Order: sequence, then structure tokens, then C-alpha cells
Amino acid sequence: MAIIERPAPTVPAIVTPTTTYGSLKRPVSATGWRSWVFTVDHKKLGIMYGATAMFFFIIGGVEALLIRLQLAAPNGKVLNADLYNQMFTMHATTMVFLFVMPMAAGFANYFVPLQIGARDVAFPRLNAFGFWALLFGGIFLNLAWFLGGAADGGWFMYAPNSGPVFSPSNGVDFWALGLQIAGIASLTGAINLIITVLNMRAPGMSLMKMPIFTWMITVVQFLLLFAIPVITVALFLLSFQRNFGARFFDVAAGADPLLWQHLFWIFGHPEVYVLILPSFGIVSEVLPVFSRKPLFGYPFVVFSGAAIGFVGWGVWAHHMFASGLGPVSVAVFSLTTMAIAVPTGVKIINWTLTMWGGKLWFTTAMKFAIGLIVLFTVGGLSGVTHAVAPSDTQQTDTYYIVAHFHYVLFGGAVLGIFSGFYYWWPKVFGKMLNEKLGSWNFWLMVIGLNLTFGPMHILGLQGQPRRMYQWTEARAGEGFFNLAFWNLIASIGSFVLAVGILMFLINVLITARNPQKAPLDPWNARSLEWMTTNPPKEHNFDVVPTVHHLDDFFHQKYEEDPVTHTMKQVRTAEEIMAEQERNADKHIHMPSPSYWPIVLAFGLPVITFGLIYSHLISVIGGVIVLFAAYGWALESSTAPDSDFETNTPGTGLDKVASNHD
Amino acid sequence: MSRRQFDIRLSVTIASVRIVLRRVFRPLIIVGGISALSASCATNAPQDTWQPKGPNSKLIDDLQQPVFAVAGIIGLIVAVAVIYTMLKYRDRGQPIPEQTHGKPALEITLTIIPALILAVVSVFTFGAIFKLAKTDDTEMIINVTGQQWWWEYDYPVQNDFGITQPIISSGQLVMPVGTKVLLRETSRDVIHSYWIPALNGKRDAVPGRIQTLRLEADEPGIYAGQCSEFCGLSHANMRMEAVALSKEDFAKWVANQQAPYVAPAKDTLAKQGEEVFLNQCVRCHQVNGLTRADGTPAIAAPDENVWSGAAPNLSHLMSRNTFAGAMFNLLSKQCRDEVWNASSDVVGAKYLAGVTEQCLNQKDLRAWLRNAPEVKPMYANPADLAVSDGKYRGMPYLALSEDDINKLVAYLITLK
Repeated sequence: MAIIERPAPTVPAIVTPTTTYGSLKRPVSATGWRSWVFTVDHKKLGIMYGATAMFFFIIGGVEALLIRLQLAAPNGKVLNADLYNQMFTMHATTMVFLFVMPMAAGFANYFVPLQIGARDVAFPRLNAFGFWALLFGGIFLNLAWFLGGAADGGWFMYAPNSGPVFSPSNGVDFWALGLQIAGIASLTGAINLIITVLNMRAPGMSLMKMPIFTWMITVVQFLLLFAIPVITVALFLLSFQRNFGARFFDVAAGADPLLWQHLFWIFGHPEVYVLILPSFGIVSEVLPVFSRKPLFGYPFVVFSGAAIGFVGWGVWAHHMFASGLGPVSVAVFSLTTMAIAVPTGVKIINWTLTMWGGKLWFTTAMKFAIGLIVLFTVGGLSGVTHAVAPSDTQQTDTYYIVAHFHYVLFGGAVLGIFSGFYYWWPKVFGKMLNEKLGSWNFWLMVIGLNLTFGPMHILGLQGQPRRMYQWTEARAGEGFFNLAFWNLIASIGSFVLAVGILMFLINVLITARNPQKAPLDPWNARSLEWMTTNPPKEHNFDVVPTVHHLDDFFHQKYEEDPVTHTMKQVRTAEEIMAEQERNADKHIHMPSPSYWPIVLAFGLPVITFGLIYSHLISVIGGVIVLFAAYGWALESSTAPDSDFETNTPGTGLDKVASNHD
Repeated sequence: MSRRQFDIRLSVTIASVRIVLRRVFRPLIIVGGISALSASCATNAPQDTWQPKGPNSKLIDDLQQPVFAVAGIIGLIVAVAVIYTMLKYRDRGQPIPEQTHGKPALEITLTIIPALILAVVSVFTFGAIFKLAKTDDTEMIINVTGQQWWWEYDYPVQNDFGITQPIISSGQLVMPVGTKVLLRETSRDVIHSYWIPALNGKRDAVPGRIQTLRLEADEPGIYAGQCSEFCGLSHANMRMEAVALSKEDFAKWVANQQAPYVAPAKDTLAKQGEEVFLNQCVRCHQVNGLTRADGTPAIAAPDENVWSGAAPNLSHLMSRNTFAGAMFNLLSKQCRDEVWNASSDVVGAKYLAGVTEQCLNQKDLRAWLRNAPEVKPMYANPADLAVSDGKYRGMPYLALSEDDINKLVAYLITLK
């Protein structure tokens, strides 16, 4: 496969910002750090989301290793009780809100516009604002470590244990307000992507011709759109309780602490699907490509994803089977929880049948995708065992649950994300990740995660509760395979897992230093994001494609022999690319960089910081927000023609932007 | 793609398939081995959820075992199907297959089958849910109150069981076998969860609510449990034990709990210990029948000193085997093992013997009296109590002298 040398993606050079909007001139952002900080390009933002998520993944991972060090032996002394409680709270918070969600947002940002043949998202500046809000929210959350201790109430933060008496440090304040900021990021992202998907698809791409990853991301954005407001309300109640003396969860004032649990889990359960569906989308892209077959039962996968999105709202109380809801509620939620297993099972069946009859190519991306099928199934099945509410009353709050959701989230969400890394790395960075290191990466991760989380099934069923900073030999049982043995194995496994992830980081470094460029279409892929250069040009496509099929790119390359029904290659990716360049659009409007998203986002943590320490600081934050909003409102999203050089070399365009012609 | 490139691709693919095969089978053997070993996991784990010892936990176990089995079989089928597919359809240079988009009939069938399996499971689940929620067959009531970080048991007057005045205890829940006990749970501060795996699943103790949990043991014995809703700093140290006694032994236990207070003899170390207790401990800890030197009853006022408003009632302390939220044993290891490992026909007698002088776990008790927050994390630093109106959460450091500790231990051992 020939490697086609193409010009590097060229950022339109702004030479002279002439107009002042509000208070500042538009940034000059051709090169250097400015081209990242003030960018509104969905691809750059996608990469920044990914890098941020990876950074927090490492932090959350170190927290996990400290937890496993503490629990490797009875009466662990690595952490004290207070620090341990902060550690597991922040491990979960970081992994859920600052790793999986932003990573999914990164994939969505980068690939949804490419997959639907668009040149950017609907609201590019809002997109940039979402990223910065997430980053600042995440930093704000972690600031608590240095300012008297992080949140210590568990990521579920049950009232009244989250109240000022029971959690006297500022950790919970940082937690509630930091998540509030991250929530704003998710909400703006959701609105942006929904509108992008609904309005900006390439001609001919009906919803049922839309790539499955984009479909799953769309379902996720709807879940976020309705779930984030619920947690926002809950977090407001908590913040008012802690900072302004409100008594929403104060039993002495007649409150019922179960209110928090309902609010949290009405958000929290859809959130589970927010975490897993993007990875379902990724493997639903990867499996067909490396099986050389379309996704088996595409409409079933789409509708089962949507069904999960709906039924996901009716299962929240299964987190509360032990909290005393009464038998009728328990029975109803038991039933709905079993019901949601059906559409989830449909996906497993469809993925297996996608591979059936195919021509399987076991790349690292494919291995991770297959790993997800098997390991997510383990987590799904243990999930069914606690849909049986009476047996859940034995399992809930034990390590069995920890095992369950780590198989779902690590075996599911994280393996899917890694599959996406290997599959799309050449698209994003123009270089192939090393497959040999990838294999090490995969096997160490899979072995490590089974060693870590597999024994937790046994620990939980044999009675070890969660969230205990120490366990005692008195409750560990006898025999060689007592709970002490399994705790040790789980701790060893966590370090194997860490080495596996280290392999990935090494792979990234080696790949970055490797001068060899990736081929144009390295996987013989199927969807539109591969119908452009690696990495894509700033405007994504020289010609907005017209879509005739599901997997349109594949059908442009291959035609079916009417007699034998085998597929025959009629064109190469290079030929398609060359044709696009010949017919390149002459006038492309790309949104221009802006200062305002990052400035506005920066105002938010200033406000929340002030809520904890001094309301005067909040006022300053408020001024920053208003100032930025003013500038934002007066600035048009595309710079005027006079700002641009004409004939920007290398783009094949005689003009990359012009006024609204 | 040229012929040569195709050959290279093919050989690379074959090599990678070989690697996959080698690496799939090796872990398969490992995974298989692990699951075989897991069949022989810890023996006699005190909180094993698969070792039911009463009708409620057996009901749960009978329900869950087939579910585990079916889930295991389905998991195996999926794994085998995936691996078989991987082997059968690996790239051996076959042409790109026909681009089929699925078979709706197959799809619908494969959707209905799991739905049917789950429908069957849900029928049995419903039955169990309502059986476990029954309260109208209750034979005995025990009120259980959680607070950071211990459980209080309060036996209301129940003449059928000889309980003619309320009994207040902590650490160990003592109950008669073969009796349908209903726990009425609540909490004085945050949410806790009461869980004796051998007897039933867990039920949260929620402040402001009273929630019920059925408990019944088939045989006399001691059944371990652990608070299972995260409740703050010492959540890990909030344990409990249920002690099931034969009906005769339970009657003896009740009689002992209701026995009047016996003050230590004059001029003994224990008598001096009583004085220390009156000076220090009675601020929070009640001992029923204890009087001051002037003959007035010594009434504890934990509500003035502790955020939850309660501290363990220490009447008949030495009839229990544990203290400090069942975190520590009152019995030395050897004596404790004797009780725990006793067969069901003698466990009652051994338990009722209580803590004798020889069996007392002096080390932990003294460490506790010397500096409680050091051995159990609690909010007991006077400098940090502004947020809780100056009230402690847990037992504070009392700065007792070794001399006072000697006296107190001598006194406490008399609280039979």
C-alpha cells in the first residue's frame, strides 16, 4: 500500500485582525501554543480532551494503585483511614468524570463531524468553552488535595454523611462545585453534538445511514442532556447545605436523606450508559472493519442502543435495594433491571455475528474489541445476578459489586477506548501505533484486569464489604485460598494492569519519534472519516461527500459481483482522495479562533473558589464571566475576509474563508 | 494490492493469528485454572454469603444459585462462540465476504430467548422479595440503632421471652434460635447498613426512618457481620456479631441482663475503679443500677458529649465478647477461638460463661482506655469539634493514668 505524501494540514493564517469585538481583537493564532489555546477546531479540541482525560486517567490510576497497596495485606498501613476515604472517593470521581467522560467527549469531538461529513461542530466556540470548563473543573476538584483534603464521602456522596459535621474539610465543597463546572461542560457538549448530528450530516446521510459510533454518541448526548440537570440540582442542594446553612438533608429538620440517593441515582444510572455506550460505538466500528463485513443487524444495534437510553431512566433504584424502598418498588426495579439486560445482550450477539463469516484481521484494535465482548459479558452477567433483588441484598456494597462494575467499565468502557486509540491513531496523528507493543499492551491489560477484578467476585461473595480502609484476618476465612490470598492477587494484578497501560504510553512515545507516516487507508476502513488525509485538513473534506450507503467509503471502494456476491475492489482510497482534491470546494467558511471560550471558562472556578473562601472572589469571577460573555456576543464566529491571506499555499484552495457570499 | 504485497500481508496475518492462538490458549488454561481453583476459595469465611444459616438467607441462596449457574453457562457459551468464530473465520486469504446486513428472524429469536430466561427468573425473584418483606409472622422484636461507629440493641419488653424490662446492649445481637426475629432499624447520625450474611441480606439503617429486617437462625452459633454502608472514618471498624442461643440459653441470658447491679466490695481495686468510672466514664456510659457515693443514681448524659447522643451501655459488659463496635475482642484469642469453634450444642454454655479474669483480653482493653482514638480512627480531637458544637464522634482521649487504668479494668471485669 503506497504512502501518499500530502501537505501538512494548514491553518489559515490570519495576518491582521482588523476589528475589535467588545474589548479585544481576535487572536493571531497561526502557530505555537496559541493555535491550541484559542482554537475552536473540533479536531484540536478532541485531541486536547483526549490528553486531558489521559492525564486524569494516570492520576486516577495512581490512586487505584495506592488503594490496592493498602489492601494487599490485612491492617494495611500505607494510608490512614481519612486518606483512604479520600482516595477511593477521588479515584471513582476522577475515573468517571475526568477520564471516561472526557475521553468519550474527545472521540466524539474528533470523529462525529468527520463521520457525518461535516467541517466542524455546530457551535465551535461553545465546544472550546466546554473543553476548558472541563479542564478547569477537573483541576478545581483536585485542588482540594492541597487545601485541607479531598472529598471523602465516596463518589455517591450519600447524605447526611456528606454534611458539614460528618465531612468537615472543604473536600466535599470542592467536589460539588468542581462537578458543577464539569457538568456545564457536559451539557454544552451535549447540546452542541446533538445539533451537529441532527443538522450537519452530509447530503444523503439519513439517520439510518449514520455510522454506529455517531449513533451511540448521539444517544449518550441525549442521556447527558437530561441527566446532568438532575445532578446539577442535587449538587446545588448539597452546596447550599454546606455553604449557606440550608437543611435539605438534615433529618432533625424533617428531611429524608433518601432524597439524595434518588437524585443521585436518577443521574447516576443513565451516567453508567453515558460511560459505556461510546465504547459500544467504537467496537461497533472496529469489528466490521476488521471482519470485512458490515455490522450485523445495524438497525438492531441502533435501536437497542436507543432502548438502553430509554430504559436506563427506569432502573436507578436498583442501587438502593438495601435502603428500604418497600417490596413493590423493589420488585418493579428488579424487573426493569432485568429488562435492560435484553438490549445489552442484543449487542453482544450482534458483535459475535458480525465476526461470523468474516475475514478476521487480529490487529490490536480488534483484540481490544474482542476483549470487550468477552469481558463486558462477564460484567453484564454479574449485573443480572444483582438484578435479582434478594441476592443483591447480599451482594450490594461488597467487592462483588466492585468486580461487576470494573468488568463493565474497565472490561467494557476502557477496552473500547483503547480499541479506539489503536484504530484511529493513524487518522489523528498520521502515524501507526506499534502493533507489537500494542499486543503487549493488550495482553498485560487483559491479564492484569482479570487478576485484579476477577478475585473481587470471590472477595465479595465471601463477605468483604467495600470502602473499608483495612480488612481483618478474623473475617478472612481459612485455607490457602482465603480472602487474604485473593486480596493479594488483586493487588498484584493491579500492578500488572499498570504495566500494561505503561506499554501504551511507551508506544505513544515510540510512535511519536517514528518518522514513518501512516498509509492513507491503513485498515481498509468503511466510514467517512477515512475518506480524507491523515490527519485531516483543517476543513476535513475538500468536497463534502454525498452519501449513498451505510459504510459509504467502503462502497466507493468495492462493488459486489452480481453472480458470486463477492466484493471486488473498483477504486483505491488514493484514487478517491485524488478525485476529491481535483474537485475541491473553492470557498470554505471555517470558524476563527477566539479568546472568549477559555476566558469565560476560567471565570467559573474563580466563582466557585470564592463560594468556599470569600464571596468577594466570586464577584471577581462573575465579572470575568460577564466580560467574556460580552466579548463573545459581539464577535462573529468567522473572521472577516480582510483578516485572511488569499491563496494560502498547500490547501489547494484559492481562499480558505470569505465573507458570507 | 500487488501479489507480493498480498503475500506479505498474508504471512503477517498468519503470524499474528499464530500469536493470537498461542496467547488465547495459554490464558484460557490460566483462566480455567483460576475458575477451578475459585471453587475451592476460602473455607469458613465468617461472612460467606453462600453459607446460609437461616431460612431467610436460605431463601436468597436457593434463588441465586440457579441464577449464578445460568449466568455462568451463558458466559461460557459467549466465550466459546467468540473463540470459535475467531478461529474459524481468521484471515486465511479468503475473499472479502458478502456484505450481508443481518438476519432479522435470527436476531428476534436471539432477543426473545434471553428475555424468556429473565422472565422466569423474575417470577421467582418477585416471590422471594415479598416473602422477605413479611412482618406479620414476627415472634420477637429487637430495635437496632446504628451510630458512628457501633450498633446498639434495644430489646423492648416481651414477656413471652422473659424480657420484663428493656434490655440495652451493643456489639453482639443475642437472639433465640428458631424464632422469627424482626429487627427495627434506625440511625442516630449517618446511614449505616445491618448485615449478617449467614442470616439475611442487608438493610440500611437510615436516620429518620424505621426499617425492618427479618432474622432467624436455625442453629445456635455466632454469626459475623459488618456495617456495609459507608459511614465515615471508621466504617471499616464497625462490626457486629449475631449470637443465636437455644431458647433455654436465651432465657438465661435475659435473666442475667436483667440481674441487678452488684457493686464491688469495699476496699478493693474494683471499688476504686468504680470511682474512676463515676468520675470519667459515666459522662457518656450508663451502667444500670450504678449509684454515686451519696446514693443518687448515676445517669449518663451522652447527649451532652457525643454528636449522635449515645454511647454504649456498659451494664453486663463482660457478658459480651467484643467492645468498641465489635472492633476488639474482650476475650483473649484462645478463649475466643474456643467459643467460636464450639459445636452448636455447647456454644451457648460457653458464650454464657462470659469473660472471666483469665480470658480477658487485657492488651486491647488497656490500649483502648489509654488512648481510644489512637486505636480506632474517630473525631476526637478537641481542636476540631467546632463544627459539631464541641461534641465528639467516638470516644476521646481521657488522659487516664496507668493507675486509673488498672482500677478501671478491675472494675469493668466485675460487670458480669
